[in-house]
Amino acid sequence: MKGGSLMKTPDYAQGFWNPYVAGVALGLVLLATFYLMGTGLGASGAVARTAAVVAHSVAPQAVETNGYFKEFYKPGGKHPFVNWMVVEVLGVFIGGLVAVITARRFRPGVGRGPHAGVVPRLVLAFLGGIIGGIGTRFAMGCTSGQALSGGATMAVGSWVFMMVVFATAFCAAYFVRREWS
Amino acid sequence: MTGPLFLQGAFGYEISLVIALVIGFFFGFVLERAGFGDSRNLTSIFYFRDMRVLRVMFSALSTAMVGLILLSWIGLFDYSVLLEFSLLDTYLWPQVVGGILFGLGFVIGGYCPGTAAVGVVSGKLDSIVFLLGMIAGVWIFAYGFSFWGPFYKFSDLGRITLWQVFGTSKEAMAAIVVAMALIAFVLAWLGEKWHPYDK
Repeated sequence: MKGGSLMKTPDYAQGFWNPYVAGVALGLVLLATFYLMGTGLGASGAVARTAAVVAHSVAPQAVETNGYFKEFYKPGGKHPFVNWMVVEVLGVFIGGLVAVITARRFRPGVGRGPHAGVVPRLVLAFLGGIIGGIGTRFAMGCTSGQALSGGATMAVGSWVFMMVVFATAFCAAYFVRREWS
Repeated sequence: MTGPLFLQGAFGYEISLVIALVIGFFFGFVLERAGFGDSRNLTSIFYFRDMRVLRVMFSALSTAMVGLILLSWIGLFDYSVLLEFSLLDTYLWPQVVGGILFGLGFVIGGYCPGTAAVGVVSGKLDSIVFLLGMIAGVWIFAYGFSFWGPFYKFSDLGRITLWQVFGTSKEAMAAIVVAMALIAFVLAWLGEKWHPYDK
């Protein structure tokens, strides 16, 4: 899809599936998940569990008594990584890797606008990760779990989340336009 | 067999983990093929350069939504099980606040969690840094949990759907969502012609 008559499609946007085809394929994966499991896809839950496990390796007591992390460390419970979503995200890494290799698309680098520096971009990636990470905990999910999966089942909170995410990002985009231009 | 299979006891927990791996494989594969392993393709939507995120997400959402209704029509999916046991709960205000933070994190950081995983295997250093930032964000959330814990479960509206809010049937609501998606696809095309940031 071209950005406009004067713009050429850049390298990094070439060679992918038609977005509607990719969307229908993704929708069928989601549909299969609902049919098999009754729940949808997810991702941020695995990040939260990773954060808990890493913190637990350093300060087990503090994590087990923490008001939020203790739900991952119930007495007699399974290890936090023995979890549907953690295994699913492991599959995402493997499936993504196979897709990258078969398309010969492994290109090490830092995704940034043509006039943005590497260091500022990495600082902003970290900062964005922190803010987004906190956001996923309040929203109890992210683009996969809430927007896509909750959205497909027409859950009210998921639609509210999705609308707020995109409204905020479209407004905030102006202030970080140099990062991406 | 009528789904959802796992919730109705068709197979056990170990099998569900095998399914998780297979489902995740296809999820990751399709995300990569959609172009979502690169932060530039994900943030282009916010500058009206390339609206592929909107096209992929809205067509995926519509496919699964309509698919679930069709499956329930032919008796292959029991929608009432989903509504009773697994529909995501609505926590209105925490999800508004979470949405604001997540939207900021998305455009500043360049990824969301699932796409960052695909970014990592595509060799993108910024996606690794983004994921490390997310882990730090979860630590901050957990550290301050005694402070914002009460808000975290505030305004719990339970398992509530759009069609219940708007007082219609789920089929009518799905038709409205599909119509919204089609309008959004036209607006996306117009937005790309406009591309205000590149003039």
